[in-house]
Amino acid sequence: MPGRRSTFAPFAGRSRRTIVAILVTFALCWGLSVVLSISATQGSQHRAAVVEVAARQRTLAERYVNEILLVRAGEPADPAATATVLVRSADALLNGGTAPEVQGDDDATALPAASGSVIRRQLMQEKRLAVDLTAAGSALLAHTSPAAVPMTANEHINVTDPVERLRVLAGLTSNVSLNAARTIATADDANISNLIITQSLLGIGGLSTSLLLALGLIAATRRQTAHFRSLVDSSTDLVLVFGTDGCRYASQSVTRMLGHPDTALLGAGFADVVHPDDRELVRTAATRAEPREIVFGIRNHLGEWRQLEAHLTDLRSDRHIRGIVLNARDVSERVRLEEQLVRQAYHDDLTQLANRVLFRDRLDHALARSERTDAPLAVLLVDLDGFKQVNDSLGHDAGDQLLRRVAERFAEATRPSDTLARFGGDEFGLLVEDADPAHAEAVAGRLLESLSQPLMVSDREFAIGASIGVVHHAGGPGNSDETIRNADIAMYAAKEAGRNRFAVFGEDMARRAIDLRQLEQELRLGLRRGEFSMHYQPEIDLASDAIVGVEALLRWHSPTRGQISPAEFIPVAEATGAIFELGEFVLREACAQTAQWHAAGMLADGFVTWTNLSGRQLSAGGVGALVTRVLGDTGLPAGLLGLEVTETAIVQDGSAGERARAELHDLHESGVRIAIDDFGTGFSSLGQLRHFPVDVIKVDRCFVQGAEHNAKDAAITANVVSLAHALGLLAIAEGIESETQLESVRSVGCDRAQGYLFARPLPAAEATALLAEPRRGDSQAA
Amino acid sequence: MQALLLQKPRALVSIAAVLVLAGGACSGHATTTPAGAVVRISEHDFQISARPWQVPAGTVRLVVSNLGPDTHELIVVRATDGPLPMRSDGLTVNEEALKPVTVGSLDGGAPGGVRDLVLHLRPGRYVVFCNMFGHYMGGMHADLVVH
Repeated sequence: MPGRRSTFAPFAGRSRRTIVAILVTFALCWGLSVVLSISATQGSQHRAAVVEVAARQRTLAERYVNEILLVRAGEPADPAATATVLVRSADALLNGGTAPEVQGDDDATALPAASGSVIRRQLMQEKRLAVDLTAAGSALLAHTSPAAVPMTANEHINVTDPVERLRVLAGLTSNVSLNAARTIATADDANISNLIITQSLLGIGGLSTSLLLALGLIAATRRQTAHFRSLVDSSTDLVLVFGTDGCRYASQSVTRMLGHPDTALLGAGFADVVHPDDRELVRTAATRAEPREIVFGIRNHLGEWRQLEAHLTDLRSDRHIRGIVLNARDVSERVRLEEQLVRQAYHDDLTQLANRVLFRDRLDHALARSERTDAPLAVLLVDLDGFKQVNDSLGHDAGDQLLRRVAERFAEATRPSDTLARFGGDEFGLLVEDADPAHAEAVAGRLLESLSQPLMVSDREFAIGASIGVVHHAGGPGNSDETIRNADIAMYAAKEAGRNRFAVFGEDMARRAIDLRQLEQELRLGLRRGEFSMHYQPEIDLASDAIVGVEALLRWHSPTRGQISPAEFIPVAEATGAIFELGEFVLREACAQTAQWHAAGMLADGFVTWTNLSGRQLSAGGVGALVTRVLGDTGLPAGLLGLEVTETAIVQDGSAGERARAELHDLHESGVRIAIDDFGTGFSSLGQLRHFPVDVIKVDRCFVQGAEHNAKDAAITANVVSLAHALGLLAIAEGIESETQLESVRSVGCDRAQGYLFARPLPAAEATALLAEPRRGDSQAA
Repeated sequence: MQALLLQKPRALVSIAAVLVLAGGACSGHATTTPAGAVVRISEHDFQISARPWQVPAGTVRLVVSNLGPDTHELIVVRATDGPLPMRSDGLTVNEEALKPVTVGSLDGGAPGGVRDLVLHLRPGRYVVFCNMFGHYMGGMHADLVVH
């Protein structure tokens, strides 16, 4: 639009036409009036000359009679010249031409031909009389009888005296001339009257026409104004005009939009309803027309804030407006939706805390600020302890409620300026700016403290703890990814250290974390490369010294690291999920090997190959299906396979625990043997143990080895064995390394034993060889 | 022009009168109307004619037509013995002297005009004439006889 403003003017053409019509009417009337005036003036001038000549004829007729009489009396006179002038003047009056001059009197006068039948007939009569007069005069001077002169003007002069007769003719000529002059003058008067009437009619007509056109124009202008007013007023947009004295005009749509009367916004009243935060913006825009687009808050008559989006047009130089026009529409809903979308994008729906995206953004900004100002900051990563049990046992709704309670507690324990976020699940993050290490640790302490009181969810109290990883950034450049990762490492350190505590990230943790990650990669690679193998440690029946089973044990020989202890790599496999692959590998290898042995008839009756199940495998579910599948694949009878589970794994609360127990129960029903590994180190209740499908209890090596010197350990071992027997279970002692230990466990009635005293874990080939020996009378095989 | 317009209805009346009078002329007797006798007087340079020239006494309506070309007036006087008295110019009738016997008059009228003059005439001889300058002497006079 720059340069040329397009205008909508439905009546503009009509207005122009009307104005043109008025001007044309005036011009026509004026022109006609002038032409008529000029024509009338010229006519009057001509007629004045005609009247003058006509009037002169009377004098000439009388002069002619006098000159005839003078000549007759012998006096000098020239009646013939007068007669010529008289007759020629009469002719000029009638037919136009030059009326001759009169000696000592008038000049020669040019005359137009007479117009109009009455005046022409009069002038013809006058001419005839003049001829008759001069003829009678000539006859008189010639002493001819006047009666002999023919009369052409229908005179009936009943006089015989020639002079008298001449005077009658002169009188008639004089009278007709005078009457002709009068007729001409009267016609002139009539013409002037006509002119006046015509001029008056022209004036009245022109004025009336112009008046009508002007009235039409005014009506059209009014309609146009009303048209535009209706357009403006019926528009849903609000139209405001601002001048130097504030709001000068507000369209009626203000009532529909805001409920205010349209006069309420005029003058300084407008600023009163604008949101205080936006007043300066609106004031600037309304005085400078910059910026061209603004969004501002305005209060409606109910006191609610509405958001208006306004477009400004600078019409200060437009003489019709002389102000800045603001076209505004209500965008409250759009603004609300935008805010909601922004909120959804950056906030956690459940707790209304910031989400990971916003946390990340704030952290990026804080780190950028730290780089500029060297301001320290701290990031805390919080993972709830025991949340999973709540979620599993009470359902997601309860879990959600719990998370909201926790979020409230955390919010109370932090400053409003800190950024508290929920990353998802039971993981929270906290960004604390301007925090030195002591402050960061104090905040971590406060978060833990905030959970010290039980939380009420669904009318139940829950005690929940948290593991918190703290990263302190001393100031300077930093990276948000790395900061969060370090907090994660510290958080896992806190979990490993026993949960419900915080751990501050240090470089050693980072190194360890890197090592673990590397180990995990090597582990997965090693599994594919066949670096893992199974060793089998024989299990001896203490009554017969026969090999009645083996424990399948996983071994990893890394080409770079050498032999790696399961104690080292199993936790890594559990933490990273590699345990599932490893678990299946173990099961498949052990079953396949045992099936071979079984097929070769190398196994004694009741022989069991024991494999270890990790707690993670159990709680994840699917063990039952896996075992069944592997048994089917390898063709191993279920009774030859035993699963060792830890005490803690089977007593787990919640649905996962229940599922695990159900799966084990089903496996046990199918013939698979179940052993409780490391019995005595956990806290399993006897009641649970009674209902659990267990065949064997393995007495932990720490008690077996301690029983040698420690009376308490000896007592525990004895009790565990007697408990096992009381429940109808077998007791197997692990880690027998000496004769004394063997005697010790034998003395308390242990049924079976395994350990280096009998045999170390053997590679498959060696184990096969051992089993192949026809009789195993010598227990010192290793 | 105004005078002409005003006289137009009368012109129609006079045409009607002419038709009536034409019938009357044929019988050689004056025709009377409820309003009295009608006499058509024509003025023409320089003659006057009255038809009929004899009418019964009473109301007489003179319908005066000026056939021009000049302007003419009409004066009606009861005739006395001898010619009408003249002014000193010798060309116009002395109207002052005739005042006692003047029964009606019309001022000068433009050519083409028709005018009415209603008179109550006693029996006797009357002279009708135009007294414009020289017209009487030029021949513009006629007699009207009332019985």
